[in-house]
Amino acid sequence: MQQKPRAYEVQLAVIGSGLAGFAASIFALERGLSTAQVGNTGAVAYTTGYLDLLGYHPVTGQQMLHDPWQGLETLRRDEPGHPYALIRNDEIADAFHLFTRAVSDMGVNYSAPGENNLAALTPSGTFKPTLSVPLTMLPGVEAHRRAARTRIVDILGLKGFSAREVVANLQDSWPGLSAVTINFPGMESGSQVYPEVMARALQVPAERELFAQQLREVAGDAEYLGLPAIMGIHEPDAVHNDLERLSGLRLFEIPTMPPAVAGIRLREAFEQIFPERGLLLIPQQKVDRVTPEADGTTLRLKDSYGDVSIHAQAVILATGRFLSGGLEALRDGVREALLNLPVTQPEGREAWYRERYFDPRGHLVNRAGIEIDPQFRPLGRDGKPASKRLFAAGVILAHQDWIRQRCGAGIAIASAYKAVESAAAMLTRQT
Amino acid sequence: MTGTPVVDPIIDFRARAEELLPEGASYDACLSCGLCSSGCPASGLEGMNPRQFIRMAMLGMNEELSTTPWIWTCTQCQRCTYVCPMSIDIPALVGMARGAWPWEKKPKGIVRSCQAQLRFSSTSAMGLRSEDFIEIVDEIAAEVREQDDRFKRLNVPIDKQGARFFINQNSREPAVEPEELGPLWKIFDYVGADWTYASKGWAAENFCMFTGDAAAWEEMVRKRVDAVNELGCKVWVNTECGHSFYTIWKGIQRFGLEANFELGNLISYYAQWIREGRLPVNSEWNRDNLKFTIQDPCQLVRKSIGDPVASDLRYVARKLVGEENVIDMQPCRSANYCCGGGGGFLQAGMTENRRAYGKRKFDQIMATQADYVLTPCHNCHSQMEDIGEHYGGHYRVVHYWTLICLSLGILGENERKYLGPDLAEIGLQS
Ligand SMILES: Cc1cc2nc3c(=O)[nH]c(=O)nc-3n(C[C@H](O)[C@H](O)[C@H](O)COP(=O)(O)OP(=O)(O)OC[C@H]3O[C@@H](n4cnc5c(N)ncnc54)[C@H](O)[C@@H]3O)c2cc1C
Ligand code: SF4
Ligand code: SF4
Repeated sequence: MQQKPRAYEVQLAVIGSGLAGFAASIFALERGLSTAQVGNTGAVAYTTGYLDLLGYHPVTGQQMLHDPWQGLETLRRDEPGHPYALIRNDEIADAFHLFTRAVSDMGVNYSAPGENNLAALTPSGTFKPTLSVPLTMLPGVEAHRRAARTRIVDILGLKGFSAREVVANLQDSWPGLSAVTINFPGMESGSQVYPEVMARALQVPAERELFAQQLREVAGDAEYLGLPAIMGIHEPDAVHNDLERLSGLRLFEIPTMPPAVAGIRLREAFEQIFPERGLLLIPQQKVDRVTPEADGTTLRLKDSYGDVSIHAQAVILATGRFLSGGLEALRDGVREALLNLPVTQPEGREAWYRERYFDPRGHLVNRAGIEIDPQFRPLGRDGKPASKRLFAAGVILAHQDWIRQRCGAGIAIASAYKAVESAAAMLTRQT
Repeated sequence: MTGTPVVDPIIDFRARAEELLPEGASYDACLSCGLCSSGCPASGLEGMNPRQFIRMAMLGMNEELSTTPWIWTCTQCQRCTYVCPMSIDIPALVGMARGAWPWEKKPKGIVRSCQAQLRFSSTSAMGLRSEDFIEIVDEIAAEVREQDDRFKRLNVPIDKQGARFFINQNSREPAVEPEELGPLWKIFDYVGADWTYASKGWAAENFCMFTGDAAAWEEMVRKRVDAVNELGCKVWVNTECGHSFYTIWKGIQRFGLEANFELGNLISYYAQWIREGRLPVNSEWNRDNLKFTIQDPCQLVRKSIGDPVASDLRYVARKLVGEENVIDMQPCRSANYCCGGGGGFLQAGMTENRRAYGKRKFDQIMATQADYVLTPCHNCHSQMEDIGEHYGGHYRVVHYWTLICLSLGILGENERKYLGPDLAEIGLQS
């Protein structure tokens, strides 16, 4: 069969479709760079939707950081190898603003990143410090701050979200909190109930009316209702507003356990809008091979239709950690999966984990990753940049523990900002 | 279709999976995250979902998996694979399970269609023979010539040696609604395309693929490939039918067939001809700003060509009905949901399951509040009409060719079956 090979030429290729990859594409488009992005479903699919900057420092302290910007200053002093040590506060703020504005423009509105962390609800009814939250979730922060009369609603058959559990965990700090269970219209049997399915149904005006009716019936004297995150996937704020209008209640969402909608919202918004803005997006695929050439770098992959090659002047590696496949844990150590870049890691597998899983200091393997220079170029075995064309961003970077520090999105967004900035500077020098 | 087993064969799913998967891939990689199930419209039907299917395969629950009727409700749309962080190919296992069912137990409608295809050289799943096809084509062509002076020299070539395009034909039009053949011919005539039908292997549908019988699938594709090779055409083009493209494209690769031609898809040719000014369509006819949404057929978009054809679908639609009148379904493009008509579901006789599956498509359409759904796929077309009626939607479903001819002012009065009263009179020659 004669099939034309597909070969593309771009200035910048982004490898990875996590927050770092998407952020890099946003920043690159903003700068007018011709850009391609390739990546599969990664950790972003499991996200709560919250964008964390820095929740804890030091990690052994139990206190949430109220002022993460101040926390960053301390972090830089204590951990000079941390990726945040290479990015100034004003740059991080700029990156967050650009990112949340771009995502809001795509129909998933986020609260503007502010001076302080917000205390945001988790699926189990605890709080986590975060910088920016989807507007569908924001009223929950406010309801808690005001200790307003609030009823948490769960749905028959929905696994991993229990209103009773949320209330049990919160009632000490939040009197006037109560729980109720409802049926989702059309899913009364309670079997195989998924947030995604309910969220899709609520995109339909007629379904919203039925659901709002259910909400009104169980609201009692509550001022707010807290729901699992199911208020639409596409332009969730419109769904949220309409449900508030129909029910006459203040509503907010609480993230649910995976499979949840927050990550789907982001992925689908990107997948729909990026191609319209001229980004060459090859969704849900992985790059198989990266070949440096005299006049650029060639990425090779196979998508459902066959072979694709992308020739780029600059490349950003944003392939994440173990879950997403950027790093691989082998018997003899941690490896960077695509380019075999050197990985800074503990000596020997025995040192990866501390004895206790919940050791507050965290596990050393979580700080493994690749090294970069101040231009965010990964370092080769000789300690020099592996290539003038290669940049890196996201949680693949060494010397951070995003889980314990609660800084996952922040590292992704801020490092993508810097990587794109450096790539753009390199491209300008070249021409 | 020989060697029908007497007892239900129990497949060793785990072992077969190892053979089936490309190197490095493994069902063991499943994280049990449930993204596949959450995004699968067949979740919950027959008490099964894709995550459960994988788990059961890994646990060696072969008997259950070899006999669950769920495999006929999975349309093999590959949406699960698309969203899976590990790219786990669940429909490949489903296809294998389908193949292992004894013929007499497989859904009769799918089997009958496949048998019909194998019977005649036409390869028509509706059992339409080539001599009848040719007669119908001649008759309708004569009608078109007579009705519209502008097409009085319209020619519908059959077996034209060396024509550039080999056009296949879904049997539905000649067998059930022959008046729907005309619009496409008019478009070819309008752009002066050098094309031909063939007197054998002209049909496009392939239900043998859906039976899970690889040998029958191969036989079907081979006959059609031979027909194109014989005529020496440069490009094989599917009509507005999704799986006809997938089945031949995938079949050629999978069975290593020698095909001396390219595979083209009609939508991208529409787009090209519009860009080149050869199909000067516009949206002036849409005075009431009727809203249109687009159904991306899985077989054409996610499962094969991907984003380029999704973009062409939108480009053509926007030209036809006006930029602001196209409202995308969510999700769309490669992430779109299967309508529930694919994989032989429409023919499988499992109406209740099929409609339950289609509820998600129905919701997607209703969320757009569109008046019309545009789709270049017969199965999508039938399924979306059926669920619309069943769940009480008020949208209509149309082919691209109808709107192209409508816009060009060349759509005949009898070619408007799928248009509503709002468009029944537009552009009719007085
Ligand atoms: C369960 C869970 C909950 C979380 N909750 C939060 C939260 O509430 N707040 C928060 O701020 N952060 C949260 N995070 C973290 C956040 O998702 C990550 O910090 C962030 O996504 C990291 O971004 P990244 O782009 O560096 O990596 P990832 O998101 O891991 O993305 C890596 C990408 O690279 C792709 N990739 C890998 N190899 C290749 C290849 N060869 N070719 C092409 N692509 C490739 C992957 O498919 C993936 O798309 C959570 C993470 C998890 C796992
Ligand atoms: S999406 Fe993939 S990894 Fe997740 S449960 Fe389904 S098959 Fe397993
Ligand atoms: S192929 Fe489609 S129908 Fe089948 S399990 Fe996957 S998502 Fe569901």
